[in-house]
Amino acid sequence: MALYLYLQFPALQPDSLGCATVQQLPVAVVNGQHCIVQLNAVAGHSGITLNMALGTAAALCPNLQLLPYQPQLQLNILQSVAQQLYQVTADIALDPPDGLYIRLCNMLQLYQGLPGYWQALSRELKLLPYRYYYASGASPFAAKCLARQQLNLLTGDPDALATALNHSPLRFTELDTDSQQQLQRLGINTLGQLLVLSQAELARRFDSSLLSYLGRLRGSFYHALHYIKPEHSFSRYVELLYDIIDTAVLSTPLHALLQQLEQQLQRINAACHQLQLSLLFRGMPAHRLSIGSAQGEYRAANWLKLCQLQLDKLKLTEPVSGLQLEVTAFVAQQSQSDDLFQPVPGAVSPLQLVSLLQARLGYHSVSGLTLQNQHLPEQASQRPLPLLAGNAAVTALALRPAFLLAKPQRLTEAVEISQGPERLCPDGWALDAQRDYFIGRNNKGQWLWLYRTAQQQWFVQGIFS
Amino acid sequence: MSALLEQLTRRQLLWQGNSQHTAYQAVSSGYAELDQQLAGGFPASGLIDIQTEQGIGELRLLLPYLQQQQSAGRLLVLISPPAEPCADMLCAAGIVLSQLVIITPKTSKDALWAAEQCLQSGCCAAVLLWQIPLKLAQARRLQLAAEQGAASVILLRRPQQGLSLPVNLSVKLQGHCQGLLLSVQKRKGGWPAAPFLVDMQHRWPGLCFTTEQHWQARRKAS
Repeated sequence: MALYLYLQFPALQPDSLGCATVQQLPVAVVNGQHCIVQLNAVAGHSGITLNMALGTAAALCPNLQLLPYQPQLQLNILQSVAQQLYQVTADIALDPPDGLYIRLCNMLQLYQGLPGYWQALSRELKLLPYRYYYASGASPFAAKCLARQQLNLLTGDPDALATALNHSPLRFTELDTDSQQQLQRLGINTLGQLLVLSQAELARRFDSSLLSYLGRLRGSFYHALHYIKPEHSFSRYVELLYDIIDTAVLSTPLHALLQQLEQQLQRINAACHQLQLSLLFRGMPAHRLSIGSAQGEYRAANWLKLCQLQLDKLKLTEPVSGLQLEVTAFVAQQSQSDDLFQPVPGAVSPLQLVSLLQARLGYHSVSGLTLQNQHLPEQASQRPLPLLAGNAAVTALALRPAFLLAKPQRLTEAVEISQGPERLCPDGWALDAQRDYFIGRNNKGQWLWLYRTAQQQWFVQGIFS
Repeated sequence: MSALLEQLTRRQLLWQGNSQHTAYQAVSSGYAELDQQLAGGFPASGLIDIQTEQGIGELRLLLPYLQQQQSAGRLLVLISPPAEPCADMLCAAGIVLSQLVIITPKTSKDALWAAEQCLQSGCCAAVLLWQIPLKLAQARRLQLAAEQGAASVILLRRPQQGLSLPVNLSVKLQGHCQGLLLSVQKRKGGWPAAPFLVDMQHRWPGLCFTTEQHWQARRKAS
């Protein structure tokens, strides 16, 4: 038998204000029509109810704190709740703005029955700050209808569920108000009265939406649900409680964000190479920082260290009002195998070291060196990213200086020539540009790499060190 | 020996002149006469101070040592080199280029920070620092970081007077047509030595004058 669970969260937005001091204040959420749509427990105690007009609510409770209703924020919170619950249950579908459908029937075997399942699920729900109502049902709509009545009924018994459903008033169903009024005029007030009527008769009087709803409520019609998949990206926004101008103070809210990231990464055994951190200002476009770790990192402490190195370099002209952290790609965590017999002091790998240096000194200040298959000295050495293995097949030329000057300089002093000439010609046999290279030593004892151009001019190009 | 002396020795507060080999672990420099003078070679870890003019062969003196340091798979780091390092020469000397990191910081403060991070990390075998003015406290800090990460940091700077730094080894180099004139200025657990010639004719015949060549070149120049 199919069994579904519906979770309804009546106050996602007020409950998401995690701060303890905020929880002491009456908080309500108002929609565009100045109607209270969500409220916290303190507001409920002072007599405010849902769908109350704003004026009435303000008169009842003078220190009422109001929040605008933000559909996108609401959806984000709902998604994060679903992701959290995904750890214990498989099939979860969102029902915006405030509900979740969960398919129960295929999870019962794993948890050995409903009590075991509910124990696992409620433990996960307890970690979240949101209040919720729940009910089970034989179909998604049945569960939803029961949960909206705040029955908190969890049973697999079909008779109990049918009885509860039959007693449900019509206003908790998905039917539009016109149909509800029409049914009430016929003297039909509960779902039970509606369900006993024959479908052919109903089809004659009502439009197809009523029949389709009843079919899905009974479970005789297929109800398509879009079950969520675990995210392979991370995006969180935190609104700061007060504006921050000091980058050192920013590390506290940033650490909280990074810890959420760590939790998510740890659960799926992943790491990430790149973070996008946006600092949001009130009067300025956001400042975006991209922080990289060459090795792939999941630990919040290590990411915080890299972030702080970048933030230290930053000069804020305006206080930061919000932080947004985004990760677009996850990679699988790779375990490093350390040498058991020769433990190296310090637990930093070369890639971690390079990331650290790049974070503070800039991306281009840290580089490696590779040998190219080129005979011209300017092209033989390249400076790519560090720790990349170059082409091993290239053999090094025998006698070359340790350092090449960025621009050859005119020879201005007397030198003793020890070796030469070695004639190098650029590609295409450009004979005018050919150079005769010599090795010479000046009076100070420095060994120089010199060349003579076709025009008999002498230049210093390198220093043998 | 009195109990007090014994206690001081155990806590390494007392150093005895005849215990030469215990000061540091030595790695062969690749030049026999130098190994003999330094009682085994360059220190495997800690701060090495080299006072030299640029371009007289200071890097050639270090290359065999650097190659051995790098052989365990750890990194070699060059911080603010005087010009573009050339891959051909390093590769020919046996340096593994994929284990080489070049850092070009903008300020000397950043250079010291980078050096300290590299030394502490434990994944670098040797760090070469060019022409960074170093104070006593900074030198001590680098020395401690190097000991922590079992790495060596080599400071290449112009000959200068000043306070002696807390280093494992300090040498002064002078150019010579057959190699280098090296004088040991300070060595942990050893004595300073008079200048002596490190002969490079065998390893680098192209960068040395034989006596006849030298006179011929002189004649040509004049």
